[in-house]
Amino acid sequence: MLTSLHVEGKSLLHRIPVKPKLFALMVFGLALYFVDQPLVLTAMLVATGLLYLSTGVGLSEGLRRLRPVLFTIAFLAAINLLLLSPEETLVTMLRLVAMLFLAAAVTASTTIADFMAAVTDLARPLERLGLMKAADLGLALGLVLRFVPEIAQRHEALKEAHAARGIPFKLSRMLGPLIISTLKDADRIAEAIDARGIRGQ
Amino acid sequence: MTTRDLVLAALFTAIIIVLGFLPPVPIPLLPVPITAQSMGVMLAGCIIGAKRGALAYALLVVLVAVGLPVLSGGRGGLNVLMGPTGGYIFGWIIGAFVTGFLAEKLVREGQSATKQMAGFFVASVVGGIGVVYLCGMPWLSAVAGTPFPAVLTGSLAFIPGDLVKAAIATLAARAVTVGYPLLPARA
Repeated sequence: MLTSLHVEGKSLLHRIPVKPKLFALMVFGLALYFVDQPLVLTAMLVATGLLYLSTGVGLSEGLRRLRPVLFTIAFLAAINLLLLSPEETLVTMLRLVAMLFLAAAVTASTTIADFMAAVTDLARPLERLGLMKAADLGLALGLVLRFVPEIAQRHEALKEAHAARGIPFKLSRMLGPLIISTLKDADRIAEAIDARGIRGQ
Repeated sequence: MTTRDLVLAALFTAIIIVLGFLPPVPIPLLPVPITAQSMGVMLAGCIIGAKRGALAYALLVVLVAVGLPVLSGGRGGLNVLMGPTGGYIFGWIIGAFVTGFLAEKLVREGQSATKQMAGFFVASVVGGIGVVYLCGMPWLSAVAGTPFPAVLTGSLAFIPGDLVKAAIATLAARAVTVGYPLLPARA
């Protein structure tokens, strides 16, 4: 149900640690805004596109992943064409797509475990501010992934219950029971976590 | 933050993800289908309150960033966050907080049903629509280069659908308030 967007592989991008990759993505994204030569941008787009493909994602799967965002960009390009000059439109769209390719390449070449380690590290400043414990982040995300299939199942059960009683399916009718039945588990789960001393308090 | 707060936020994130799997509901007369997921901002704020609601959405954004396809239509990954609509996604965190903040202030136990519903509706519209658009539109305009007035006009097409979502969220929030109250003001 939830398959990671990571692609197994041993490409150059796979071997670079996650933090430099994220840093490079940020720098690249900012640098792009200072380039307005269509030719240079096209070259960058081709380069990031090739980099994306070098992760081994494959052409059709690679495009499938970006389709919703590319569709949004195409739509915005059509609007921009009406309001701005064709050259301005071309420049912003090239910029956007080049950045998307690089972002998708970083996503495809990094495992969730590596990402999680980086996210936990990046959450350390929050811990110093007293907002939350960095270790809680991993616990919370684990809980989310654990409960997604269960809630999907509960949703199916509610749908069947409605169908069995001849009530047409309606989202507004289902949300209340779905949310209540899910959140009622919260106390039990919280007690179980505390009983095992997982948060170390 | 207690363990219970953490668990409630995580469970809500899971609910938001499941809502994203549901097929979008087409609404007669409206060009834009309703995805249940963006309703989650209003639901999270109204049902689990400002802090936990914002945490639930922060968790969702982290899951998107680490490359899980948790957004509706199987979207995910850094490209979604950096794309033209990234501002709306970050705006969800602030939107859930503001919705929750208003709901905590406006809705109390013992009020009449109409008053509670009105409170939830106002909170949903201000936090779930107003704040989210305030974060999303300037970002879209900056990233895609589309002039801001055009973005503003284009967004109007989504407002009727969003009002329908606010109404559904209001009904659901009221149902949960009656069945299993969780807003911190009453906890």
